Amino acid sequence: MREERDAVSGSHPSGLDPTAGRHRRRRRGLTLASVVVGISVLTVLLGFGLSRDPTVIRSALVGRPAPEFALQTMDGSQAIRLADLRGQVVVVNFWASWCLPCRVEHPALLALWQRYRDSGVVFVGIPFQDRSNAVRAYVEELGGDWPELADPASGTAIAYGVYGAPETFVIGPEGNVAYRRVGAIGYEELAGQIERLLERSE
Amino acid sequence: MIGARAAGRVSVGTAILALSLLAGAAALTVVAVRGPGRTSALQDRVHGVAATLRCPVCQNLSVADSPSRLAQQMRETIAAELQAGRSPGQIRAEFVGAYGEWILLSPPKRGIDLVAWAGPALMLLGGLAVAGVAVRRWTAGQREEVGEALSHRDRGLLEQALSKIPEEPEEVG
Repeated sequence: MREERDAVSGSHPSGLDPTAGRHRRRRRGLTLASVVVGISVLTVLLGFGLSRDPTVIRSALVGRPAPEFALQTMDGSQAIRLADLRGQVVVVNFWASWCLPCRVEHPALLALWQRYRDSGVVFVGIPFQDRSNAVRAYVEELGGDWPELADPASGTAIAYGVYGAPETFVIGPEGNVAYRRVGAIGYEELAGQIERLLERSE
Repeated sequence: MIGARAAGRVSVGTAILALSLLAGAAALTVVAVRGPGRTSALQDRVHGVAATLRCPVCQNLSVADSPSRLAQQMRETIAAELQAGRSPGQIRAEFVGAYGEWILLSPPKRGIDLVAWAGPALMLLGGLAVAGVAVRRWTAGQREEVGEALSHRDRGLLEQALSKIPEEPEEVG
């Protein structure tokens, strides 16, 4: 090593070796470039991570057969099996009396239920993490005469991947989940989904 | 003497009290550690599945660790399915079917998710390589300095020798 260097500086007594300088500059450029690339990659990843809402979970169910359920209504007067509703559009609404967005979306559900109840659309409510007397009081207060189904041990909610209230699933006549809304659903939004499925089944 | 006897009786009473307290504490500890009822193999298996699932209504808590009602109901669901003879893998797959891979606390070892598994190891290797190169460079510099540090006697000899060489004109070109 030392001998080599001495030999080099011997031929260039001023101590300036142009090729060594070029090498050093190239290496510094490479280091700089890799640092810049690394920082940009991390920035993009961080930006992507921060711009995503971690509470929104994409449903794995849309486009797949809706999980079956056979549940009693809250008053125990009626049993409803999803399989018996084949051929109709089914709107399954998971909600709770303690949930504010549920109150927000309730007028839309009510209006759409009144509009479509006689056109092959079934509305079903499944209270999520709630008490039966609170459910009864809520329905008495806000109206709506579609069946409210008791979901023991939240089995149906878990099967549908529900992680909060409200969540609304629209099931097509063939029994597949066509649409899922996390949070309060809007009138136009739900009407559009129902219309789309009714048109397709005609 | 009377004082000592009284003290002796007191200490026997204290000892009995202390012993019974200790026994009670030990019993409570056993109950607390073993949990209410029997800790069966089933509970362990439920825990094994639940610990890999994310509680949907919590912030980064597993179904096993969450005290929420939904997590408790999920554990009941898992227990029921285990008793029905389903394997932990099948149960996990069912949860993934409903909630998506979001429900899994650790990403699956395939596809783009492999980055999360291999990334840290690769970064560690890369860091070790960089550190190795840097250390080698530093110690190389040190070795050169040591080489230059001549002993007192050597320097004397060198200066002697150099003084004998006549000054040369500086080489140009």
